Amino acid sequence: MEFHDDYPQYETMYQHDEAHGKKIRTKLWRVFWLLLAITLVELFVGFNATKWGLTGSGFLKVFFIVFTLFKAGGIVLVFMHLIDETKFFRYIILAPYSMFIGYLIFIILVEGTYTGYPENKTKMDPIYLEQQLQVRNSEHHKGQPTKEVDEMMNAAIQHGYVRKNTPIEGEPHE
Amino acid sequence: MSHAIEFDQKAAWQGGQSPFRLSYGKVFMWFFLVSDALTFSGLLCAYGFIRHKYSGVWPYAENVFTHFPFVKAHVPLAYVGFMTFILIMSSVTMVLAVEAGHRNNRKGVTIWMFLTIIGGLIFVGSQAWEWYHFIEGSEHGALRQVWDIDQQKYVEKVVHGANMTVNEYAVPQFANFFFFITGFHGFHVFSGVVINVVIFINVLLGTYEKRGHYEMIEKVGLYWHFVDLVWVFVFTFFYLL
Repeated sequence: MEFHDDYPQYETMYQHDEAHGKKIRTKLWRVFWLLLAITLVELFVGFNATKWGLTGSGFLKVFFIVFTLFKAGGIVLVFMHLIDETKFFRYIILAPYSMFIGYLIFIILVEGTYTGYPENKTKMDPIYLEQQLQVRNSEHHKGQPTKEVDEMMNAAIQHGYVRKNTPIEGEPHE
Repeated sequence: MSHAIEFDQKAAWQGGQSPFRLSYGKVFMWFFLVSDALTFSGLLCAYGFIRHKYSGVWPYAENVFTHFPFVKAHVPLAYVGFMTFILIMSSVTMVLAVEAGHRNNRKGVTIWMFLTIIGGLIFVGSQAWEWYHFIEGSEHGALRQVWDIDQQKYVEKVVHGANMTVNEYAVPQFANFFFFITGFHGFHVFSGVVINVVIFINVLLGTYEKRGHYEMIEKVGLYWHFVDLVWVFVFTFFYLL
């Protein structure tokens, strides 16, 4: 015996006819071209960032993050049809996520700065300091500013975490 | 969209119907995706934290990901750009499959699902290729302190490519995060392809034709778009910033 309740058939509620489908397809393709254009602009800027002297700048970070959020909105709202759902459902999906991740980002930005100070960066294994010097000198880091590592090494020498011109023989770190 | 259902907000919670106007399966696919999104966001936040801690020695992606298949030239980020294009492309074919499902158009669903699966396979293959070049590394390599198990101390050594303890690009954390985050995402893409194949076979067998609706396409579509969504963020934070 098959069970039937008198709930509405939500599975078939979103079906539509050919004429309406044509409109939806136009909209979907438009969003696709928009996403593609944004990606191409991002890549173009990424290619030329070094040439334009923008690498690592605050402007570039904001630029990329804003464009990424824009793309994410296009995917979630249009491709995943969240904009067509009921208002209540939209909030049920977006509110808990935003609250948790908003708090996580907040706490990382506020408390995470502790490790950003040179004197705190030096409270690391000497082997890591040595590794950072080597990383800085390697092929992949040509043209990168070295100010930060220099500052850090100077602070390390000052605080006695590492002695100048002494070969480092580290113990394995846990 | 105009096919949205007439909805009385006041009567929504009085029983006898779903207050969200959605079937059980779709609601819980969304809940799963929220939990998955929290996982990925946590990983990316951890990545951002560590990256700032080692900001002086973190590599620029355009100095690391410079390869392109069949081309010897130095083309930074071009291949990742191609991968992004493939994933956005397969996302749009997926949403077109969902749209065809809404019209109970079995032929349309078959074609668009097939193209989605092809896109997913190209993406997974590209990621394998990318990993291969990341692990192999460059010819010149870089000098690193490597723990020598026989001598029980660190010795200087030229390192090529990357593994979990040492890599030529930067501090070990760089490779660790690369392997974990792109690996976790790649695993999602792989599962997505497998699920898509299962659904595709069901479409071919006419399972949903018999059922009278193609809602299953919507559910796997949600998952597939989510995979694309995650890649948008990984692409930005790993390769662009």
